[in-house]
Amino acid sequence: MSIMAFEQLPNATDEDLIIHLQQGSHLKRKAEDTLFTRYVYFIKEGMHKYSLTEDEAFDAYSDTILYAIGSIADNIFEKKSSLKTYLYKIFCNKSVDLIRKKTTNKNSIHQTASITDMLLKIADTARTVVQQLIEKTDMDTLASRLKQLGDKCKQMLALYADGYTDKEIAAALDYKTADVIKTSRLRCIEKLRQAYNNNN
Amino acid sequence: MDNLDYIDDYFNGANTSEQIKLFEQKIMSDPGFAEDVAFYTSATGTLKEQANELKKVRFKEIYLAQKVIPAKVIPIKGIWRYMAAASVVAAVIGLTLFFTAGKTSPKQLADAYITQNFATMQGISMGTKKDSLQNGLDLYNHGKLTEALVQFKSMVKNDSTDAVAKKYAGIICLRFENYDEALQYFSSLENDASLYINPGKFYKALTLMERNKTGDKDAAKVLLHDVVDKNLEGKDFAVGWLKKL
Repeated sequence: MSIMAFEQLPNATDEDLIIHLQQGSHLKRKAEDTLFTRYVYFIKEGMHKYSLTEDEAFDAYSDTILYAIGSIADNIFEKKSSLKTYLYKIFCNKSVDLIRKKTTNKNSIHQTASITDMLLKIADTARTVVQQLIEKTDMDTLASRLKQLGDKCKQMLALYADGYTDKEIAAALDYKTADVIKTSRLRCIEKLRQAYNNNN
Repeated sequence: MDNLDYIDDYFNGANTSEQIKLFEQKIMSDPGFAEDVAFYTSATGTLKEQANELKKVRFKEIYLAQKVIPAKVIPIKGIWRYMAAASVVAAVIGLTLFFTAGKTSPKQLADAYITQNFATMQGISMGTKKDSLQNGLDLYNHGKLTEALVQFKSMVKNDSTDAVAKKYAGIICLRFENYDEALQYFSSLENDASLYINPGKFYKALTLMERNKTGDKDAAKVLLHDVVDKNLEGKDFAVGWLKKL
């Protein structure tokens, strides 16, 4: 059985995959899986080139794909190089990061990557203020309060976190407009905050 | 709520450069607003992290599946011998299929799926659940299915919304041929509206095919059609199975 047999969109070119990832259509998930499968041989290269274990190389590679999916969806990938070259550069960086973090006893290479990415959007001085406040947040309590939200809220917030726009969520969940989704989504965050504050 | 709207627009890139500047000045001058930004960032970042963890679980499953039968490199000069042998095997299989009218029993299909996909299981830890989930998977992969089931059941007892534990508990019940309990876990998974990748319905069909009692095949077909129509997890297998059932 070849690797191709596991690709969900085996005939899609890299350009097709980029379009599906940007459009957030029903093919987005298949495009993600296909992208993962297409360059999965990087894992073996990581094991040889950086002397990583298979699990470590898998982590570096899946983090690479997750980062690429995000940057393609946000139009940060500028297509200056081929997708393969772009992925390989990220993979090398992730592998080196992993080695560095291993030697400094920091095993998680992805634990707060999403928060860090969001913070990078804020200018330096303001970022420091927000960063200091985030450090005071009890993440375990926050995760636990997230679980207690109603199903609709959880579904809406999960789709948004997965990179779908309000318009795409409205279409997926049969809501009339993107504005209704946005309002409902922000109400869910407000509810989450109240639940978090009531228990802290 | 107004602040949240403002913050949401900022992170979605909906602001002009002037608005961005004002936003960042407000963080510096208004402590309440800075707290709102920090909470929004923590909550959204945590949700993104959870979404990524789910994707990593999916990627791991794909990675392990493609490793089940590794591709073997055959020297080119010997390839004709293999092709000739493959042709003979293909001809025999073709004739067999022709004379047996191309239908396969639901149990055969389910057995093949279970053998190929449930021999070992890998999961990616998710925050605080790391130890118990990993412990359950380790037990499973060492063949200690009873102990693994106890672990996953305990996780479900502690958190009735734990979809990952329900999935693994259901799979073990299925392997123990405890079909009714497996169906209960998979039904619960199926009804979890918070999951956007949900194999519950597909696993229910699989369980019915494996049980193969009177009426199970028809019920499984209804579920498989639903999986295909709604583009749910397991769709590719469902399409193939429906042709063979």
